Amino acid sequence: MALKIEHLTGGYTGVPVIKDINLEIKTGEALGLIGLNGAGKSTTIKHILGLLRPQKGKISLNDVVLTQQPTAFKRQVAYIPETPVLYSELTLKEHLELTMLSYDLDEGEAWPRAHELLKMFRLDDKLDWLPIHFSKGMQQKVMIVSAFLADTSLLVIDEPFTGLDPLAVANLIGLIKDVTAKNKIVLMTTHVLAEAQQAVSEYAVLNNGTIEIVGSLQEIRTHYGLKPTDTFDKLYQILNQEQQNE
Amino acid sequence: MNELAKKRLSINFKQSLKYLMLVFNDFFIIALIFMFGALMFWYAQSMKTMPANLWFYKPIVGAVLWLPLLAGHLVTLVKKADLQFLFTQDEQMDDYLKPMLAYSLILPTILLLLVAGILFPFATVKAGISPLNYGLSVIIAFLFKFTQLEIEKKNLLFGNKISDWLINLLTLLVLSFGMYYPLIIIVGLGIVLSMVGYFIARKNQMFDWRYAVNKEQARKNRVYALFSMFTDVEEKQVDIKRRKYLDFLLPKSLAKENPNKFLYRRSLLRNPENLNLFVRMTVFAILVSWLVQNWAWALGMSALIIFLTVYQLLPMVNEFDSNIMYRVYPIVRKNRGQDLVKVLTSGLLIQWLLISVFWLLLLPIDLHLLEAIILLLVFTLLVTLIYLPYKTKKN
Repeated sequence: MALKIEHLTGGYTGVPVIKDINLEIKTGEALGLIGLNGAGKSTTIKHILGLLRPQKGKISLNDVVLTQQPTAFKRQVAYIPETPVLYSELTLKEHLELTMLSYDLDEGEAWPRAHELLKMFRLDDKLDWLPIHFSKGMQQKVMIVSAFLADTSLLVIDEPFTGLDPLAVANLIGLIKDVTAKNKIVLMTTHVLAEAQQAVSEYAVLNNGTIEIVGSLQEIRTHYGLKPTDTFDKLYQILNQEQQNE
Repeated sequence: MNELAKKRLSINFKQSLKYLMLVFNDFFIIALIFMFGALMFWYAQSMKTMPANLWFYKPIVGAVLWLPLLAGHLVTLVKKADLQFLFTQDEQMDDYLKPMLAYSLILPTILLLLVAGILFPFATVKAGISPLNYGLSVIIAFLFKFTQLEIEKKNLLFGNKISDWLINLLTLLVLSFGMYYPLIIIVGLGIVLSMVGYFIARKNQMFDWRYAVNKEQARKNRVYALFSMFTDVEEKQVDIKRRKYLDFLLPKSLAKENPNKFLYRRSLLRNPENLNLFVRMTVFAILVSWLVQNWAWALGMSALIIFLTVYQLLPMVNEFDSNIMYRVYPIVRKNRGQDLVKVLTSGLLIQWLLISVFWLLLLPIDLHLLEAIILLLVFTLLVTLIYLPYKTKKN
C-alpha cells in the first residue's frame, strides 16, 4: 500500500516541467518535497491531484490508478493548497458538510471530529460565517480542518506554514504526526524546514524537473557535499548553480 | 501621476466603448429610436392639451432637472495594487484626480443638457419660468454636480466623509423651490461656492487608500451590473451575500443531498447574479400582469418570463469549474445537469407560486384566471420536465 509515481513526465501544454519522476511513499510515511521556486513541486502536486494530464507515466495510490479510476483515486486524497481556495457561497459549516457529502463520510462520526478540529484551530464559534470574509490565516485553517476531516489515505499539503500563527503551526505538525501514526501518507512541499523536520523525516529534492535524491536531511547534506558548518540554505545555492549550468 | 491618470482614462474609455457598442447594438438602437419617437410624440400632443401654470409644474421642472445629476460618481480608476505601488504618492493624488474629475463630469453634463433641452418648452410655456431663470437653474444644477464630485474627491482623504445624499437633497430643494423664487437659486449658488471653497481649503491630509479602492470597486460594479443586463461582462466581481433569512429554503438534512445539488442551491440563493435575476424576472412578470389586466396576456407574458428566467440560469451548471477544490474533491460531475434541473425546478415552482398569488391579488378573479394559474403550472412543469433535461443533457 503506497503512493507510487512511476516515470511521470508532465507539465503544461506539451512543455515538460517534470521529467521521468519516480517516487514511492509507503503508508505511515511523510515525505517533504523540497526545491527552488519553479523546480516542479507544484506541477508534481497538480499531477497527483488529477489537475494536469501526464504526458507519460502512471500515478497510483493503494493500487488505484488515477487515470483509470479518477473518482476512486480522489476519494483517497485530501489537499491543502498554498493559497486558500474557498466557495464564496458556503458558510464554514457548509464547507464541512460539502466535505462530508463529497467524501461520503458518516455525519454521526464526522461531526465530533469536525468539532474537535474546529476547537483546535479556534474556529468553533464561526460555523455560520462565510469564510470568504476571514483573514488569510483563518481561511487556511478552514482548508486544514476540511482536509483532515476527509480522513483520506493521502494528504497533499502545499507550503502549509505560510500565514499560520505559531499555535496553528504546532497543531498542524501534531495532526501530521497523528495521521502518519495511523498509517496514512503525507506529501508536503515546504521551504520552512525548521518546522517541517518535526513531522517529516524523509525528503525528496526536486531540481530542473527531476528528483535528484530521496533521503533524510543528513543524507541530503552528504549527497551535496555540505560541510557540518554549512547551513542547509547552502543546498539552495547549489541547486541554483545546477539550474544555471543546465 | 497626471500621465498615469490620462493613460488609465484612455484604457477605461476604450473598455466602456467596447461594452457600449455591445449594449447599443442595431436592434436596441432601433427600439430606442421608436421609444424616443413615441415619447416625443406623446409629449408634443400633451403640450397642446395640458392646462398651463398649475402650481406643481415648477417643482416638477426642478425635480426633473435634478434627475440627471444622480448619474455619474467620481471615476478614480484606483486599483487594489495601488495600495502597494502608489502608497507613497499621497501628495500627488490631487494631480492624479484632476483629469478624473473632468472626465466624471462628462456623462452628467450630457444628460443634463439633453433633459434641459427636452424640458425647455414645458418649463417656459406651461410652467411659466422665464428663459433666464431656467438657464440659471441649469447652470446651478451643473455647479451642484461639480460640488458633489469635489466632495467625493475630498472624501478620499482621511477625516469625516460627507454623504452624497446630503448634497443631492440640497440640490433637489434648491432646484424645486428656486423655480418659484429665483433668489433661492442665487443663495444656492452661494452655498455651492462656499462649500467648494471649504473643501478645497482642506489640504495636506493623508489619502485614504482603502476607502478609495473600495469606493472605486463599488462604482465599477454598478457600471458592470448595468452592462451585464445586456451582455457578458468578464471584469464583473460577484459580491456574495449570506442571506440567512433564506436558509429555510434549504433542506434541513444532508440525507438526500449530493455535492452538486448542495452547491447549486446555495449559489441560487446567495449569488446576487442568480438571485437578482430570479427576483427581477418575477417582479417583471407581476408588473406586466398588473399592467395588462387580462388573464390571457398575463398568462402568455408570465410563461415567456418563466422561460427566460430558466434560460438565463442554465450557465450555472459550469459555475464551479474554475474552483480548484471542486476538481480536487471526489465530486461526480457526470450527472450534474440533472442536479441543476432539480434545484431549478424548486426555484421555478416558487416563481409560479409567487406569480399566481399576485394574480389573485391584482387581477379580476374569475374562472379564466384559475384556468390561467393551472395552465402556467403545466407550462412550468413542461419546462422542468422536458426543456431543462434536454438542455442540460451534455453536462
